[in-house]
Amino acid sequence: MSIHPAPPVSRIAEHPVDLVTEYFARAIDALDEWKDALAHEITQLRRTAPLTTDRLDEVVEPSALRLFDTVDLPVYGSGFIAALNWLADANSHLAWWQGPERAQLVLAAQSVNKEHIDYSELEWYRVPLATGQPHVAGPYVDYLCSDEYTITVAAPVHIDGVFVGAVALDLLIDRVERDLTPRLAAFGDDISIVNGVGRVLLSTSPARETGDTIRGDDLAGFERFACEGMALDVLIAR
Amino acid sequence: MSIRSAAPRSGRPTRLHSAVFQPIGDEGRAALVERRIAEAIMGGVLAAGERLPAETELAAAFGVAPATAREALLALRERGLIVTRRGRTGGSFIADSADPVRFATRALLDGSRVSLRDTAQHYLAITAACVDLAARRADATEIAMIVARLERGDDRDLAAWRRASDDAVIELAALSQSARLTREQMKLQGELSPLLALVDTDADRRLESRAALLAVLRAVGEGDAEAAVLALRASTRATVDWLIAYRERHASTITAPIATVVQPSAATTDASTRTERSST
Repeated sequence: MSIHPAPPVSRIAEHPVDLVTEYFARAIDALDEWKDALAHEITQLRRTAPLTTDRLDEVVEPSALRLFDTVDLPVYGSGFIAALNWLADANSHLAWWQGPERAQLVLAAQSVNKEHIDYSELEWYRVPLATGQPHVAGPYVDYLCSDEYTITVAAPVHIDGVFVGAVALDLLIDRVERDLTPRLAAFGDDISIVNGVGRVLLSTSPARETGDTIRGDDLAGFERFACEGMALDVLIAR
Repeated sequence: MSIRSAAPRSGRPTRLHSAVFQPIGDEGRAALVERRIAEAIMGGVLAAGERLPAETELAAAFGVAPATAREALLALRERGLIVTRRGRTGGSFIADSADPVRFATRALLDGSRVSLRDTAQHYLAITAACVDLAARRADATEIAMIVARLERGDDRDLAAWRRASDDAVIELAALSQSARLTREQMKLQGELSPLLALVDTDADRRLESRAALLAVLRAVGEGDAEAAVLALRASTRATVDWLIAYRERHASTITAPIATVVQPSAATTDASTRTERSST
């Protein structure tokens, strides 16, 4: 098996890996833009008084809600996840809006026992914190927010070089599958998108199940193309 | 609508078809909110002294009108499950008298052995299905993270241990990559958690459950679905046997109803009445 570099830009959408990269890059680009604007707003806000969950929610809400309409993706949830032990009145906080109603997520534990929510080891927090880079996390069963099989794209927010949290958006696999599978199927090959641990996000092959992993010896049957700037690979059966 | 109209054109109603027309019950939305919070308090998910979200936050969380949330809080207050304090640091708090072990004991005594065994079978069926899938699908690094967190936890802090243990099972279930199974598992874990907390009070049994959970995780990490399910089944069985033995031990000792928490004011009245009686 060999790892090919992504094909040149001139061939955009002429190769499955371009199609997949372009799709998720929409999220990364939108979050990159948002994180700078939000960092600026938070800096302003902190000048007047200590930052609390309520004040943070107020500043995040308009831009989080805007993201639903400005990104050309089926956004299910959007918001900002505060760095642990950063806010004045809580150890952790998700300023998060989601679902068809775009309702604010209220975790009972959030306003109750703050130590209950420890997202330090969850992929959408851990990886952007560790790498300083945006990350496409999942697919995973999101038992904290959407309760669905989800992809979370997250970008770290830094103020004066200090990590203060991550802006993120959720995509349900259910919708991503309906967006991408027909377009990938048009290439005619047996094509799958897998994440960093080889978990299948979706596949044009009816036999390959979302959630299964392709790893070890199984990989021999595929050509692998890395999606640039994200931990996703496109596997094309030989 | 007559019963006949519920039958499909093809003939007699099937079992699934008749399930559609089962009574929904006329429980109001406030009662549903009340029940959800009461169950969390009795299950120890919301512990004594914890502050509940504000009325408006609760309303938003449950997707009900603020008046409905208020009605639910009022009912919880009347049951003595929460207390309300005024002022800047005020709000609704879980009553200090809310003791999940006592609630769990009562629930165990009020229920039957058959229903307990049945609940455990349901729990086992769903959790085993999750474990089986996770063993096929999870990456060893994902399991290692759950194990590391569990091993860091101090099992002598009972409330913290129960949370850590429940979380580990739910995270394991989520590695099945099945949203439906995970949701169902979480519901059952929540239902059983108060009883598991009761088992935790027995230090030996607690250590055995801890070892069993680690064994299940290790087997999943090694991709050994069969060993994982076997370990889960043995551990669930031991837990239920313990609960039934506990139930038999306590059946004769506890006679006073403790399902409803006696309000301080009511208790005072009772005491004064008794004093009056004894003085006359």
